[in-house]
Amino acid sequence: MIRDTGTMLGRLSHPALTRRRFTQIFGAAAGSLALSGRAEPAPAVAPDIALEIAPFVLEASPKHRIHTVAYNGQVPGPLLRMREGAAKSMEIRNLTGDPEIVHWHGLYLPSEIDGAMEEGTPMIAPGASARYTMEPNPAGFRWYHTHTFAGKNLSKGQFSGLHGFLLIEPRDDPEARDRELFLALHDWEGRFAGGDDGYMMPAYEVSTINGKMLGFGEPVLVKQGERVLLHLLNSSPTEVHWIALAGHSFQVIALDGNAVPRRQTIPMLRLAPAERVSAIVEMNNPGSWVLGEVRRHVQAAGMGIVVEYANAGGKPVWTQPDELLWNYPQFAKAGETSASGDVARIDLAFESKFQGHGNEELWCINGKSYPHTDEPALTSGRRYRLVLQNKSKDDHPLHLHRHTFEVRRVDGSPELRGMLKDVLLVRAGTTAEVEFTANNPGRTLFHCHQQDHMDRGFMMVFRYA
Amino acid sequence: MLRKQAQIAGLLVVLAGGLAGARAARAQGNYEIQVYGADTVAPKNLMVELHSNYTPEGQKNYIGGVYPTNHQEHETLELTEGITSWSEVGFYVFTSEQDGHGVQWVGDHIRPRVRAPDSWHLPVGLSLSTEIGYQRAVYSPDTWTWEIRPIVDKIAGRWYFALNPALERTWHGPDVDQGLGFAPGAKVSYDFTRKVSGGVEYYADYGRLGSFDSLHEQQQQIFAVTDLNVSPVWEINIGVGVGPTAGTDHLIVKGILGRRFDWGRHSPTE
Repeated sequence: MIRDTGTMLGRLSHPALTRRRFTQIFGAAAGSLALSGRAEPAPAVAPDIALEIAPFVLEASPKHRIHTVAYNGQVPGPLLRMREGAAKSMEIRNLTGDPEIVHWHGLYLPSEIDGAMEEGTPMIAPGASARYTMEPNPAGFRWYHTHTFAGKNLSKGQFSGLHGFLLIEPRDDPEARDRELFLALHDWEGRFAGGDDGYMMPAYEVSTINGKMLGFGEPVLVKQGERVLLHLLNSSPTEVHWIALAGHSFQVIALDGNAVPRRQTIPMLRLAPAERVSAIVEMNNPGSWVLGEVRRHVQAAGMGIVVEYANAGGKPVWTQPDELLWNYPQFAKAGETSASGDVARIDLAFESKFQGHGNEELWCINGKSYPHTDEPALTSGRRYRLVLQNKSKDDHPLHLHRHTFEVRRVDGSPELRGMLKDVLLVRAGTTAEVEFTANNPGRTLFHCHQQDHMDRGFMMVFRYA
Repeated sequence: MLRKQAQIAGLLVVLAGGLAGARAARAQGNYEIQVYGADTVAPKNLMVELHSNYTPEGQKNYIGGVYPTNHQEHETLELTEGITSWSEVGFYVFTSEQDGHGVQWVGDHIRPRVRAPDSWHLPVGLSLSTEIGYQRAVYSPDTWTWEIRPIVDKIAGRWYFALNPALERTWHGPDVDQGLGFAPGAKVSYDFTRKVSGGVEYYADYGRLGSFDSLHEQQQQIFAVTDLNVSPVWEINIGVGVGPTAGTDHLIVKGILGRRFDWGRHSPTE
C-alpha cells in the first residue's frame, strides 16, 4: 500500500533517457516538489520507521576515517525488523546534497516504492523526504540500500555507507538459536585501476565488517555451547568475498533470506555483491578466533572481526585455508521443479564493448546498453525461465527486483530445484538458468549488482503486459 | 608504507647523486627501441622480450672503426624480473648480424627501475630507470655508458601518452668528457580495439645538455607503431621508423615480442 503524501512523483517511463540524465531530471523535479513540501504541515503521526540520509565520517580504524553518507549516522544503517505482512509506515529524509532513493532489496513491493528510478520510484531531492507505507513480504533476511548512479565517483552510490539489514520475521520461525548476529561486508576507498581484462575497474584500500577493520571493532562475545544464527550480507559495491571463521564451520540454512532445500555444513562462505547467507554456527571450540576474508590481501585490508568466547583471552587465531570453496548446487535438490505448466523462455546474453584501456567497459544485454535495452512484456501469472549467458570475462551478480527466482542451472549443474534467490553470481563464460513467476505487476528491474557495471548499462526492465 | 616510501626516496637520492659531476654520453645504437611505460613487472614474474631491429637504410661507411649500420640486424634479449610491487631489474644481451661480420655479441646492460607505488595515488604513472652497460667499440665508440630515464605516462580513455626524458653520459669512450646528453623519447597511441592500438613513437638524441648539436647532427627518429594486446602475458610491438637527419639511420623496422612468466607459487587465497 502507498500513502501519497505529496512528495511522491508519478510513474516514469523514459526509455530514451540515460541513467545519468534520468537522475538529473528526477533530482530537479523532486527538488521542486520538496520546496512545496516544506510548506505543508508535518504529518501528525510519527512513522513506524524513520531513516535519515546524511553525511557521515566512518572511523574504520583510527588511521582510516572515511567521509561517506549513512543512514541514521551509522554504518551499516539500523537493523530494521518487521513482521511478515504487517504494514509499516516509513519516512525517509534526505539531508545530503544529492538526490537519493532507498531500495528494499528482496521485497515484493510496488514499483512506486521498490526503490529504483528505472521502475518509477521517485528520487528524494536534497532536503526533501518521502513517506509511504509498505507491507513487508516475503519473510527472510533482506536489506536496504541506495540505488543511485555513481559513475566515476567511487564514494557515491553503493560505494557509500548507504546499506542496512532488514529482517522480515515470519509468522512462524522454528529455527532454534541462542542469538542472532548480523554482519555486513563492505569495501571502501575505491579507485579505478587497470585489470588483466584490459580496462579500468575498482580496487579498494579498506575492507570492513560492520564498518570496522579487523582489530578495531568490538569483538563478538559468545559462550560455549551457544547456537548463533549468523546473517551475513555482502554490501560491497563490486567485490565477491569468501568468509571463514577459524576453528568453526557454517551450517547454511538460507541464501538471500530463503530457506535452502538442503542444508550443508561447510568451512567457508562465498558472497557475491548483494548476496546474503544465513548460517548456524555451533560455538563448540572455546578461544579467541578471527572471522574474516579468506584471501590474505583482503583480510589485510581489514575485512575481519574477532569472535571471542567468554573467559577466553589471548591473541585471536586465524587458520589460513588454501582454497576458495563454494558450490551453489549443493544447497538445491536435483530434478524438475514443482511449478507446473508452460514456461516461457527468455534468453539474455551479457557482453561488454571495449571503451579504451583507460575506461570502464560498456555493458550490454542482448547487444544493447541501458536505457536502450529491451523491455520484455510479462504476462501476469505466467512462469518464465531466464537463460543467462555470460559471454564476458567477468563474473556478474545478477539481481531481479520485486520477485524471487528459482535457480535451475548454475556453474554447469544439471537441473536443480528449490533454491530460491534474488541474486545469482553467473561466472564468466558460463550460462545459468533461473525461473520466476510473474506475480507482482509493475516495472521490474533486472541488473548486474556491481555498481560500475549497472552504471555502464548493465540493466533492463521487465514490464507487465 | 612509510618504510616503502623511504626506500624509494632513498634510491632516487642515490640515483640523483650519481648524476652530480656526470658529463658526457651518447646513446647506444638501435638495439632496444622502446618508449617505457611507468609500470613495472610484478614480483615473482619474469618478462622475456626479444627486440628485433633491422636497418634497411643506415650509415654505409666505417666511421672511426665502427661498423656501418646499413643492413644490420639487431637481436636483443631483454630479461626483466619483478622484485617488489614497485621495482624491477632488467638485463640485456645485444647482438648484431651483418654481411661480412656474421653474428656478433655487442654488449650487455643492466637496468634497475623503481616506480611510484599505486598507494601514492598520483594522477600519472611515474617511474625512474637507470641503465649501465658495455658495448664493443666496433659497434659503439663509447663502450661504457650510463643512462637515467624518468618515465611519465598516462592512460585517458582510448589514449595513451608516455614521456621518457632520458639523460646519458659516457664512462669510457671518446665522449667521456662531453657531459650529460639529452635523449628524450615519447609515445602517443590510441586503442582502436581491445587488442589493437596504434600510434607514434619519437626518439631523439639532442647531444650535450646545454649545448645541443645542430639539428642536422642530432638523432631524430619517428616510428609509426602498433601494439597488439592479444593477451595479458604477451607483448607485441611492431613499427617502422624514419630518421630525417644526417645523424640518424634513415629507415628502421622494429619488432618486440615479449612473454611474461609467472613463476610464483600462488594459492587462490593469495
